[in-house]
Amino acid sequence: MLANRLLQFLLLYFLAIGGLLAMKYLLGLSDYVIPGVAAMATAFTEMAAIYLGDLLDSLRVALLGHALSLLLAAGVGILASRSTALGSLIRAAAYTVQTYPIVAVAPIIFILLGDGLASRLLITILVCYFPLLLTTISVLTEPVADIEHFFISTGRNRWSLQVAIRLYENMGKLITVVAGSATLAMVGTIVAEFVAADAGIGFSIRKALYQSDLAHILVALFLVGIWTSIYLGVLETAGALIEKKWRNPAGGG
Amino acid sequence: MDEGERPRAAITIDNLHFSYPGAGRPLFANLSLHLPAGGFHALFGPSGIGKSTLARILAGLTACSGRRSTAGPVLYTYNTERLPGWLTIGEHLRQVAAAPAATTTLATLEDRFGIDHCLNRRFGQLSLGQQNRVNLIRYLLQDFQTLIMDESLANVDEGTRERIIITLKEHYPDRSFLYISHNVLEVARFCRQIILLREAAKEPQIVAIEGLDATAGHPVSQTRLERTVLEILHAG
Repeated sequence: MLANRLLQFLLLYFLAIGGLLAMKYLLGLSDYVIPGVAAMATAFTEMAAIYLGDLLDSLRVALLGHALSLLLAAGVGILASRSTALGSLIRAAAYTVQTYPIVAVAPIIFILLGDGLASRLLITILVCYFPLLLTTISVLTEPVADIEHFFISTGRNRWSLQVAIRLYENMGKLITVVAGSATLAMVGTIVAEFVAADAGIGFSIRKALYQSDLAHILVALFLVGIWTSIYLGVLETAGALIEKKWRNPAGGG
Repeated sequence: MDEGERPRAAITIDNLHFSYPGAGRPLFANLSLHLPAGGFHALFGPSGIGKSTLARILAGLTACSGRRSTAGPVLYTYNTERLPGWLTIGEHLRQVAAAPAATTTLATLEDRFGIDHCLNRRFGQLSLGQQNRVNLIRYLLQDFQTLIMDESLANVDEGTRERIIITLKEHYPDRSFLYISHNVLEVARFCRQIILLREAAKEPQIVAIEGLDATAGHPVSQTRLERTVLEILHAG
């Protein structure tokens, strides 16, 4: 799973590089617009170590933001799934708020919180929180009739049991969304750093962009892709192991 | 039949009217039904005629117009029900058999229903027939006066099915069972009363036929069985 993710990324990355180089030589573009292979290799040797440090800084924010989003989405999702006025209000608010593009809201966050860790973390959370929340709400409000019927009929239905049944039955869907939102966490962090922060790989990409240094940007994107693929692959592998243990245990007799 | 002459009823329904939203014609119009108290009875009829809908109405799970009265708790179980997957069968059954009496019953049923060797497995690891049996057992451990079994043994082999029906009759002589099945031979042989549900256009929509109510000590003759089967088929 992890190897597949890395392979898929490398294939796409080098196809894109190939496309850029083909465009450069076919259209006769200068090294200033699209650098040559030698310039790309030089940029990699010069910047890889520096960008790796920036990337690990971004990854730290992304991981923290992702973890906080999961906790928040689980808590708010459970509250929202209840048939109460508060639950209805949270559901309506969740659907409405998620329609706002976070990039449009980001400047307000930076004005209020400054360009430090808090802003990067908040934007990361906002980017990956809503898909998690909406999935949690959808899972918890959808009855699993063929399991719940017995407990309802015999007066054993408890809210905690209902939550457990619905989470368990939708484990595959939840794991897919949790793994998928890992890339969103990375996107959120980089977007935040790109918009206004003073650290991280997004900030480095912004600096390279101001210098019109495509070779440096390509090195940064390579590292972002590799590490995001690793993060995604690790989560997917962990998810598959959890599903195997809980949903499809071998043997049993 | 006059109200005063009726035998004691497990469930009575009078003047039932029911239509699915958007349906042009009612599924049930002015339907009355009297399920005798005690015994193993059947609700029989072709697919799509409304047996499950009627069963759910009898169990109080589907709202309808008309009068419904019951002699005690009514439970409804169907063949595609599942158990929570995080527990083994044994753990789940022990959890739902809270009363000490139910625990004793559980041991007997596990043996008679032939599931004692799969108690350490999860529900998803069982065959469909084993799943049917496990699901039925947990309902039998509950406090009920009437149990409606909607194709609850649909995936169980014939021999085991017969053993289960005989067990139900022996262990629960004072309870009522309403068994939904498409096996005309089975309902004719084992059921005391067969409630035949017909198309809404037919009058009456429900016909009650006396079954042979076979038990372990009282098998039925082939001639009587054939006669009852023909009666059911002609009435349909």
